[in-house]
Amino acid sequence: MKKLLHTPEGVRDIYNVECGKKLTLESRLKKTLHLYGYHDIQTPTFEYFDVFRKEIGTIPSKELYKFFDKEGNTLALRPDITPSVARAAATLFGEEELPIRLCYTGNTFINHSSYQGRLREVTQLGAELIGDDSVEADAEMLALVVESMQAVGLKEFQLNVGNLGFFHSLIEDAALDEDARERVIELINNRNFYGVEEYLDGIMVKRSSREAFASLGELVGGVEVLSRAKNIAPNSAGIMAVKRLERIFNILKAYGVEKYITFDLGMTGTYGYYTGIIFRGYTYGTGDAVVKGGRYDNLLEKFGKNSPSIGFAIVIDELMNAMIRQRIRIVYTRKNNIILYDEGMTKDAIALAKDFRGKAKNTELIKKEKGKLLEEYVRYGKEYYAGTLIYIKKSGDILMINLVTGDQKEIKKSSKKIGE
Amino acid sequence: MRYLTFALGKGRLANETLALFEKIGITCEEMKDKDSRKLIFTNEELKLRFFLSKGPDVPTYVEYGAADIGVVGKDTILEEGRKVHEVLDLGFGKCRMCVCGYKASAALLKHHELIRVATKYPRIAKDYFYNTKHQTVEIIKLNGSIELAPIVGLSEVIVDIVETGSTLKENGLEVLEEVCPLSARMIVNPVTMRMESERIKGLIMRLREQV
Repeated sequence: MKKLLHTPEGVRDIYNVECGKKLTLESRLKKTLHLYGYHDIQTPTFEYFDVFRKEIGTIPSKELYKFFDKEGNTLALRPDITPSVARAAATLFGEEELPIRLCYTGNTFINHSSYQGRLREVTQLGAELIGDDSVEADAEMLALVVESMQAVGLKEFQLNVGNLGFFHSLIEDAALDEDARERVIELINNRNFYGVEEYLDGIMVKRSSREAFASLGELVGGVEVLSRAKNIAPNSAGIMAVKRLERIFNILKAYGVEKYITFDLGMTGTYGYYTGIIFRGYTYGTGDAVVKGGRYDNLLEKFGKNSPSIGFAIVIDELMNAMIRQRIRIVYTRKNNIILYDEGMTKDAIALAKDFRGKAKNTELIKKEKGKLLEEYVRYGKEYYAGTLIYIKKSGDILMINLVTGDQKEIKKSSKKIGE
Repeated sequence: MRYLTFALGKGRLANETLALFEKIGITCEEMKDKDSRKLIFTNEELKLRFFLSKGPDVPTYVEYGAADIGVVGKDTILEEGRKVHEVLDLGFGKCRMCVCGYKASAALLKHHELIRVATKYPRIAKDYFYNTKHQTVEIIKLNGSIELAPIVGLSEVIVDIVETGSTLKENGLEVLEEVCPLSARMIVNPVTMRMESERIKGLIMRLREQV
């Protein structure tokens, strides 16, 4: 039988420097979330299928990885973490009336169709602010996204912010039937605003609605688009939605992050559970958004607690891609010390390693095989990111090699201890 | 300024696209040299780059942001199902996606019978039969000369692009149902659409005046 040695399509091993960098990136982002007072939570990798069912509004059911437990229940690997956190929060903090701040890192799984070159397992890191429907909560989330991006050294990025309330007010005012509504949403998702105009020309829709939909493409930009949007809003719900964005913007000024915000009133949600403001973070070097988020005021209700909430997730794998293409260094300086020793020098080697580790130096202890040359260990050290190699010879002499510069230094047995 | 990269589907579509671009003042002299072996062509003045690729690959380049903008037939967009913004109908390359076959086969499309459908576009065919007609069919993927399938008895009907219908007529086949109209479309990468929104919007506006 042929041995299976590679991973299945869409999943991969992450190792060495890449793994180190990924963990560094995660911890830096996590630190920013902690600075805002978010508490860590871990939810299970798989849940009952019901947590991700259609009414919840996550990805289409056919893209979920599903399987059965022994009782015949359908289980699913999480495609995103928000529904799990919502479920957990609704059950674990059912009585709490004050807002709860939670953050998480975890892998998510989507069964994309083949040959699209998309990863099926990606790491998401996110935060959820549960039980707070205030404008301040919206602003905190946006500020947190901007600060997270800044924390990892990203300079060129923009955060597009929309409000589904505005979009829904247009849809409602136009009194479209279901087919027309779907078609219009599809065209708008495609940013094909001329297409929307043409389509609405062809069916019976009042002129003001047609013009409002067609102008959505122009409602993208700085804070000035909000006043235009207010003129277009067909009813009080639409005006309220725009006013909310204005209020958010004013608070963002206090955070000093307003220059990263682009308003985009034609934005519709990635997930069906979004209700109010939604946002996506874009940067160069990747074909997709690196941050996705929004308000989901009705999601927790489906798990038994009426609790308006807002959250976002950063897709770590996309972010890393973007950073690599933009040549932003993820500073990862871990260097090992290698202690190589000859047969019979075990005690000296262990004593030295203990001393090093006590001083918080990462130390790899290797016993030299008789047949192998020192050069082979030097090569090994260079390949696996060691900084120095210390060779304790049988004679008791010690050779120190700086693997970065190549400098060597020999210490005779007679002279005193090294590492001081 | 960053380069904006265009991916154009090889062949007639690319020529018509370049002619359209010329009307709005976007030229690429390098591309007119037919003997050139270059793969990528640049307009330094406007900071634009162009390359040609197989039609079905255009949405792939655009999805990953390897190209910012693509021009490709609607059939390809539907078949590939990529996450791109389809921003403008360019109006040329007009044709239709149709179900075709012998006249006698028309009855088979009315009674939800299990029939075989040969096509180069399995995704479009499947979506049409399953989700619009609610008819279970067997899809057979072919790579060319689709009209042959009903003639030699490989399938009852085919789903294919019809432009004038003359190939069909010559072989005794006809259009039985229309799936959707097709034409060339401009597609844009979602990130480019946001990060370079002024340039893209300007481009769309100027093209729009021409079509």
